[in-house]
Amino acid sequence: MAPIRWLRRRLVVIAGLLTLGYLLLPNIVVTVFSFNNPKGRFNYEWQRFSTDAWTDPCGVADLCGSLSLSLQIAAWATLGATVLGTMIAFALVRYRFRARGAVNSLIFLPMAMPEVVMAASLLTLFLNLGAQLGFWTILIAHIMFCLSFVVTAVKARVMSMDPRLEQAAQDLYAGPAQTFLRVTLPIAAPGIAAGALLAFALSFDDFIITNFNAGSTVTFPMFVWGSAQRGTPVQINVIGTAMFLVAVLFVLAGMVISNRRNRQKAS
Amino acid sequence: MITVTTKDSSKNSTTKNGTDTGGGDVRLSGISKTYGSFTAVQPLDLTVPQGSFFALLGASGCGKTTTLRMIAGLEEPSSGTVSLGEQDVTNLPPYRRPVNTVFQSYALFPHLDIFENVAFGLRRRGIKSVKKQVGDMLDLVQLGEQARKKPHQLSGGQQQRVAVARALINSPKVLLLDEPLGALDLKLRRQMQLELKRIQTEVGITFVHVTHDQEEAMTMADTVAVMNAGRVEQLGSPADLYENPRSTFVANFLGTSNLIEAEVDTRNGDEIVLRAGGGKLVLPVARCSAPTTTGGKVLVGVRPEKISLTHADEAGEIPAGRNRITGTIADSSFIGVSTQYVIDSPVCPEFEVYAQNIDRDARLVPGAEVVLHWNPAHTFGLDAAQSLLAGTVDSAGVETVGPDEGAAA
Repeated sequence: MAPIRWLRRRLVVIAGLLTLGYLLLPNIVVTVFSFNNPKGRFNYEWQRFSTDAWTDPCGVADLCGSLSLSLQIAAWATLGATVLGTMIAFALVRYRFRARGAVNSLIFLPMAMPEVVMAASLLTLFLNLGAQLGFWTILIAHIMFCLSFVVTAVKARVMSMDPRLEQAAQDLYAGPAQTFLRVTLPIAAPGIAAGALLAFALSFDDFIITNFNAGSTVTFPMFVWGSAQRGTPVQINVIGTAMFLVAVLFVLAGMVISNRRNRQKAS
Repeated sequence: MITVTTKDSSKNSTTKNGTDTGGGDVRLSGISKTYGSFTAVQPLDLTVPQGSFFALLGASGCGKTTTLRMIAGLEEPSSGTVSLGEQDVTNLPPYRRPVNTVFQSYALFPHLDIFENVAFGLRRRGIKSVKKQVGDMLDLVQLGEQARKKPHQLSGGQQQRVAVARALINSPKVLLLDEPLGALDLKLRRQMQLELKRIQTEVGITFVHVTHDQEEAMTMADTVAVMNAGRVEQLGSPADLYENPRSTFVANFLGTSNLIEAEVDTRNGDEIVLRAGGGKLVLPVARCSAPTTTGGKVLVGVRPEKISLTHADEAGEIPAGRNRITGTIADSSFIGVSTQYVIDSPVCPEFEVYAQNIDRDARLVPGAEVVLHWNPAHTFGLDAAQSLLAGTVDSAGVETVGPDEGAAA
């Protein structure tokens, strides 16, 4: 009976750990294999420990170029989608206009549409317009599919905002610009930040839409895909691990800051 | 306890003793507000004298909050003008009006701490050194210790005080209060009523207070405007409104009234004699707001606490010259300071009488035959062409609206 009771008490913890393991195992594999020194061109079998790839992350031709391109596109796409999406979200929540209901549902179409279909259609559109495929077509496509996510995130926040807060600001001598900067924006900020993070992540690792509309331009996900045909350099794992660590650092920093804030409030 | 002294801020002149240029009266002339086909506020003329504590009282949807918001500039009037002193502010946006508001749900900025909430108005007007003023103001509302807390960490009563401090620190010409005590529990509400009243007396700023609570309005305000369906039904001091209601709405909304339909019999000098249910009642002419033609109908009103109750066996001892009605006690409830009786009488099946518990007559129990009598000077007369039930509040505290008002609202 004792082992059963022991199990029953810890069932939630065990289930939690197993789920966490399931989530993190792929990341661990990526990290471990970034220290591999493979024999052939493929980094699929563990040979021996080495830090070669870490000391020379750009040692593979075109890798760092594609990474930098992906980061640039992600940054611009995030900026564009966040600005446009925030404005759309405010318009949808604050104003009553004709076709508001239609816009409200149409904005979700890019989320519902199979990515590969959209990618193909976009390519058709660009070709018909005679646009040259490359950085700009990728950027336009990325802003387009990130928009829905930003709108969703910001809208939720704006909807829960009390319109009297802005009236109070106006009542306290803040003009329209001041009201927006001092009250509206700071209160909507968590929603906007969530939308921006989502947009960055989506843009950075998008492969399907990018692949269709990139022309001869190569982004990081396309580089990984391409090299996987011919052999996978360890540097890919290095970049992946580094990205993972940066994300973890962000999360940790956020937790530390909010903890400190809470402690200040308590005192 | 809160004590507030008036402080000079660089841009707004203070209004301590009404020595401000041009006075600080709030004048609304012909102001109205319509939303499509719905009229929230009928064309309205209202003057709030500088330094007074003015209450707009009415049930929800009567237009009182809309009126307040038009003074604040948060609502644009459909017609008419708003003036503060000599200045016409009708076309000024809220941030250019020397007026501050305490909002119903306080509307404290959740992302700013208490200090920054209170400092907000000063900073927007470009005042750099706010520390001392804000500190003083927070001390005055006893929140000095909480300056670095966020609004959600404070109790309802504390948030309420922050909202008052945030508005008052700007030394506005007029402070607008939109049901500021609605979210507080009864005890705290009573306490804040007295505190707000004292703050107002001390700073001498004009307060315009919107409320649906008649007790709150009467406790705090010098002048009360009773609003109904977008109109001011009656305006006056609390005592005047209570003693001399001019419509059934006011008679029922402020306290309780017994209203009887009666017919004008004769008119002797400054008294009108009326017939009701076979008996005669006397009504002073001065207290009748209705036209009185012989044979015409009027509503006779009397407050429950003005009436004395005598057992039918001792009816002979009632002094002459008092209005009398006979009836049977239908119900009595003892509530400590008084006993409330419901009397079934030929003129009104539910005549209410509140008797002080001084000498309780043991025979006054349900079923007993009684005579109700009161001094004719306490009688008031109203136009019979109105709903008897306008402005009544049932025992659960839910406002019921008479048929006329229901159609208008």
